[in-house]
Amino acid sequence: MQITQSQSGALQVATLEGRLDTATAGAAETQLMALLAPPGLVLDLTKVRYVSSAGLRTLLKLAKEAKAKSASFSLVGLQPAVREVFEISGFDKIIPAFATFQEATA
Amino acid sequence: MHLRLAPDNDSVTTLLDALEAFTEAQELPIKAASRLMLLADELAANVVMHAHGATFFTAELSREDATLRFTLTDDGPEYDPLGRGAANTQGGVEEREIGGLGVHLVEKLATTADYRRADGHNILSITLDAGAD
Repeated sequence: MQITQSQSGALQVATLEGRLDTATAGAAETQLMALLAPPGLVLDLTKVRYVSSAGLRTLLKLAKEAKAKSASFSLVGLQPAVREVFEISGFDKIIPAFATFQEATA
Repeated sequence: MHLRLAPDNDSVTTLLDALEAFTEAQELPIKAASRLMLLADELAANVVMHAHGATFFTAELSREDATLRFTLTDDGPEYDPLGRGAANTQGGVEEREIGGLGVHLVEKLATTADYRRADGHNILSITLDAGAD
């Protein structure tokens, strides 16, 4: 899992590449938690092939931390298998996901 | 594909790398390939987490026309991960927990999922649609 950090206006942006799964979720969580601060963080998942339940756990922790810090937290570029997992687990109702980067940062 | 692995976290990565190579060699559609890797990750992680006392696990993958069959076998204590009750997929961020979600994904995405105990081994087998895209 590669994580590249950038900024869009005041928002932090993290671009993830690889698998967000059992093996990678823990290290990804540590890196992403460090980037989470107001006004908010956008994760670009365009190059993430799938997210397992370990990855969902990480995203949920980030969403909870964002609430606690009054920061925004959103996702961009969900691939078909990732979107499917989000819908099955009901994550599409609790974490905002946008088709394009422009929508996420608007 | 047949792999015999030690029951530790590094083995899960080894397994997923092998599956990724298989899905590319077979030119599986993206959704079928991603589902296979996702469910293999969930099931193998489950074995590593719960099979205290296991000395190995094996992973087998075969393709029969439009069906993928993936089977994990381990020599740990009897443990059936299936049918442990529905995960909480409702509610807001604050009240959401993750327990049981991996098994929930297996039961939703696999065409069939079966557990049996035989000759001192846990044998978990799933089938998947090889054409899902």
